[in-house]
Amino acid sequence: MHESAMIDSFVEIIEKQVQEYNVKKVTKIKLKVGKLTCLCPGTLKSCFDVVAEEKELLKDAVLEVEEVPLKAKCNQCQETFLVENNKFVCPACQDHHIKIVAGRELFIESVEVEENGD
Amino acid sequence: MEIKIGRNVLEANDLTAARNQKVFQENEVFVINIMSSPGSGKTTLLERTLEALKGEMKIGVIEGDIYTDRDAERIKQHGVPVVQINTHGSCHLDAPMIKAVMPSFNLKSLDLLIIENVGNLVCPAEFRLGEDVRVAVLSVPEGDDKPIKYPVLFRESSVALINKIDLLEHFDFNLERVKGEIKDINPEIDIFEISCKTLDGFSAWLDWLKRNAKK
Repeated sequence: MHESAMIDSFVEIIEKQVQEYNVKKVTKIKLKVGKLTCLCPGTLKSCFDVVAEEKELLKDAVLEVEEVPLKAKCNQCQETFLVENNKFVCPACQDHHIKIVAGRELFIESVEVEENGD
Repeated sequence: MEIKIGRNVLEANDLTAARNQKVFQENEVFVINIMSSPGSGKTTLLERTLEALKGEMKIGVIEGDIYTDRDAERIKQHGVPVVQINTHGSCHLDAPMIKAVMPSFNLKSLDLLIIENVGNLVCPAEFRLGEDVRVAVLSVPEGDDKPIKYPVLFRESSVALINKIDLLEHFDFNLERVKGEIKDINPEIDIFEISCKTLDGFSAWLDWLKRNAKK
């Protein structure tokens, strides 16, 4: 269960990033989580709720998790395809030399905030 | 108002890992990170490896454990420098933990540094430490469905060791199928079948280690 470690670092990033704005509170956080991570969106949300509860800035924020499918590109025939059932092989030419192009992310896309004086 | 952030949550860890790796490279020490579920035989693998390479290579060990120093005590008996990291509840090692213990070693004098991660098939795979290669250990009693259920670790590793093959006759463990599934997940991976008890297959693993450490 390393979701809590992830939440700690992402709360730290958000707190730093919003410092330069006149933010009263954060209302929504958009997070992208790749299929090829070992993270469970539900657990991320529960861990976030526990951490956010104690922070004035974050306690009303909703964590929105978008799951990113696992995509790869074949180095031989350049085909881009979804990796399914853990088969890391190009479906077009059967070559094994592929590059993961999506699905490894753990990425904070944006936050929605209310500014002071809103 | 929407504020674009566009930052990777693991960037702080990855940055420290890259710095660790640079220090290891400057000191010409080859670093491996061994990962598996609890009870797959990581510490015994380490002990047999240390015994076999004694006199041939200078080896240091970092032991990751949630609370105890039992594994480090076992490794100490082999007369190699060993540092214990207790993660105090955390299920994995991360790059800052490795950075913190690096000054405990005389890196210049080492050929190989082996990091034994916390026993866990899931979390350690997400955290780069600055290692050269990752080694996944799977043991026969765990069952042959583990790679397909936990693909990230096998995708990210350069070597898969299938351990405790001396127990094959007692378990419904389909060796050929699991090897095929590991290769589907990671076609580039080297797979070795070993027993740390009978030492069957062990020399192939040692050869791999020696060859890669000297690169």
